[in-house]
Amino acid sequence: MTTLDQAKVSESRPNPPKSLITKLNMGTGMIVGIVFAEVMYFWGKSMWDRQEAVMENRILTLSMFAWCIGFLIGIGAFIGPFRWLIGKDLTDEEQLFLAGKGQGVSRYFRYCTDHKVVGIQYLVGVMVMLGAGGTMAMMIRTNLITPGSKWVNAEIYNSLVGLHGITMIVAMIIVSTGPFGNFILPIMIGARDMAFPRLNALSWWLLFTAIPVLCSAWFFGGIPTGWTAYAPLSVQAGGGMNAFIVTIIIFAISSAIAGANITTTVVAMRAKGMKWNRVPIFVIGATMSVALAIPAFPSFMASQMMAGFDRTIGTHFYDAEFGGSGWLYAHLFWIMGHPEVYVILIPGVAILMEIAPVFARSPLFSYTTAVVGFAGIVGLSVLVWAHHMYISGWMPSLNGPFMVTTEMISIPTGLLFLVLLGTIWRGRPWMKLPMLGVYALIWNFLIGGITGIYLSDVPADDYLHGSMFVTAHFHYTLMGAALTGAIAGLAYWFPKMTGRMLDERSGYISFWMVQIGFQVLFLGMFAAGSQGQPRRVADYEQVFATSDLISTIGAYLVGIGMIVLLYSVIHSWRKGKIAPMNPWGAKTLEWTVPYPIYLENFHEAPVVTSDPYGYGRSEK
Amino acid sequence: MSDQHEVTDLAPTPGERLRNAMKARDVKITIVFGVIITAVFVVIGLWFYPKFMPEIMSENMKRGKDVIVYFTVISAPIAGLVIAVALYTLLDRHHGENPPEEAASFRTHTPIVFAWTVISALFCITAIVWGLTEMNVNSEDATENAKSALVVEVTGSQWVWTFNYPELGVQSEQLNLPLDRPVEFRVHSVDVNHSFWPVQLGVKVDANDRVTTLAHTTPDVLGTIDIKCAELCGLYHAYMETQGKVMKEADFNSWVTAQGGHAA
Repeated sequence: MTTLDQAKVSESRPNPPKSLITKLNMGTGMIVGIVFAEVMYFWGKSMWDRQEAVMENRILTLSMFAWCIGFLIGIGAFIGPFRWLIGKDLTDEEQLFLAGKGQGVSRYFRYCTDHKVVGIQYLVGVMVMLGAGGTMAMMIRTNLITPGSKWVNAEIYNSLVGLHGITMIVAMIIVSTGPFGNFILPIMIGARDMAFPRLNALSWWLLFTAIPVLCSAWFFGGIPTGWTAYAPLSVQAGGGMNAFIVTIIIFAISSAIAGANITTTVVAMRAKGMKWNRVPIFVIGATMSVALAIPAFPSFMASQMMAGFDRTIGTHFYDAEFGGSGWLYAHLFWIMGHPEVYVILIPGVAILMEIAPVFARSPLFSYTTAVVGFAGIVGLSVLVWAHHMYISGWMPSLNGPFMVTTEMISIPTGLLFLVLLGTIWRGRPWMKLPMLGVYALIWNFLIGGITGIYLSDVPADDYLHGSMFVTAHFHYTLMGAALTGAIAGLAYWFPKMTGRMLDERSGYISFWMVQIGFQVLFLGMFAAGSQGQPRRVADYEQVFATSDLISTIGAYLVGIGMIVLLYSVIHSWRKGKIAPMNPWGAKTLEWTVPYPIYLENFHEAPVVTSDPYGYGRSEK
Repeated sequence: MSDQHEVTDLAPTPGERLRNAMKARDVKITIVFGVIITAVFVVIGLWFYPKFMPEIMSENMKRGKDVIVYFTVISAPIAGLVIAVALYTLLDRHHGENPPEEAASFRTHTPIVFAWTVISALFCITAIVWGLTEMNVNSEDATENAKSALVVEVTGSQWVWTFNYPELGVQSEQLNLPLDRPVEFRVHSVDVNHSFWPVQLGVKVDANDRVTTLAHTTPDVLGTIDIKCAELCGLYHAYMETQGKVMKEADFNSWVTAQGGHAA
């Protein structure tokens, strides 16, 4: 790829140090990982009788963890910590090598500490995950095209639902903070790298090890529980559930590391003069998002560890027969689950707040309001989890209080709308691809928000809970708002990340196909939910046939649109128009560095004297 | 756009400032847009959702529907405003390779931020109060009717619903109910979680292992009820459904007798 070759030109190629580090890459990682997993598997088999489900689960779970640890050893993740154990550290040459200096394409396949490399790794990883999850969505919709279609059987259908859910959730959590939080954010705040470069590489490669584990679920009987993996159904499920549990535990560790890293970077490594009121809004949003993930995900991890114990060593945390409780699982899950949707949403909205001023040529309207809006959402989001349990029977008397906190979220959410509308008001929008995302978000998030108010209301939720209406609602917020933001971000920062412009024609075609298909798809699903179709059903009655057919047609439009986007990205990355340094005339710091970006981003440390939103005819 | 559109510093009193702002061309057009879009949303709210809902056979179902209809109507002006502003900005688009001319530079506008916050808080409070009231009416009804209620024990198992009428000595896989008599569902599961959903009655409650959860309603229309499971419960979740009937007291009693029970 020519774009990557350009990177070589500017950086002199030092002699690589004679060290083990230079020999390790993704290939050695996979070899060691597979060896570890095999050894664990056969050792486990010899230790425990494989006839019982508990033993089988134990062997599979341990083998999956062995793969992860083996992979990380094989790729060299522990060389640094090991050196510390014996009282040394990596030499300067070795550190430069780890940062990928002068290695061209091969650094993308190594344990590379350069935040720009990690950002690209996340971008490609997210695209692969979205592709896989999207393919599964197409299969789900194909099965639902007519009642009784039986295109796949109920077992495969349930697995598709579970795998689509968890793949998309994981991908959406990292879709903005992964690629842009790693690649763009440090440059935006004028830092030379992340605060903890080696942890940065660790967070990516940990996540990478989880991908084959999640894929393996397919071969061990799938994830028949949906992504919520409610106990006791999950305790009863087959071997694929182990893969779910291991994936979540690894992902929780990875996101905790990434969250701590991004938070520390923003707190400690901002350029001289970048006071808190001069920090770009995307940085604020991304930081709040990952900071919210830090308390949320351990709860998810704990819930899965306990499910794992139930499955592998015969505890009964969730088993009512022996004094456990399924409600315990529901609580642990949703204590993560509701903050998590805002972990997904906030960075998407923040990206569009970054884009709107540039393309409307007007300052971000009321920066403080935006920050207060984000903070309000973050604060309230940890107090609303039991609205997922209104009809669980757990404690009907608390439905009232949870309804109050949930509906209060509409106030800070409304502030985010005000900021976006105030920014584009009395500006001439420059109708480039990123700006289209702002308008798409305003529409989609409005629908998602209003339907969210219905669902937060107990009498309405009594009817709508667990129906297709809920599915349509959260796709409007997560896909219609957060993914739209991420795709707009890709179009916006593509020139900085690849040195080339994203092809406009195919970009527009994709945008319109995805957005129109999306409306058709989920308005059909709102109708199906209102009619009373439960979610996650492999089959349905004649009365829902029209709504579901409409949904499926919309889904195919979205699918084709996404393929066009994929083509656009690959084509532009290889052969796109070479981008100027600042194609959009933006004022944030990342546009002051030329492509290819120097290893430490800035030759001279930047000094910030104002916030980056000084657009408009005259400053008052 | 000229500076006369600037809202700030135009007039000393808030009332005059507001009146002046309303005279600006862009504000006027936006208001027209907003009114049209609000009307569209009101129509959608009054028509779309009820059109798709199944037959309403209890007060609970009616309250759930009302909440959605009225919330749509209340939120229509907000949606109208948001979309109108976005649409207005789209009237004067800029295309081409270079950025458009710089827009007016206003950083913030305290009265608007304040008004926006107050209005959305009022909307939020309305929604909360409305919801709490309807919820309380539901639970008041339930308490009031507890003594006279017909008890139906609902058991969810993979993937069948069974209904037991302990007072009548009847067990059935069909849920038949007498018209206008309050009913108390006592729901539990013998394996994984299910969710008991008699669709037309507008109530729903999870079935948990070894725990009994309650749902109360009073069927007030004769007709067929679809019973579904609303919580993914394994392989044949989609097929865990059955039907029932709301019938006249006399028909119900003869059904009970035919099932070998003793009519009340």
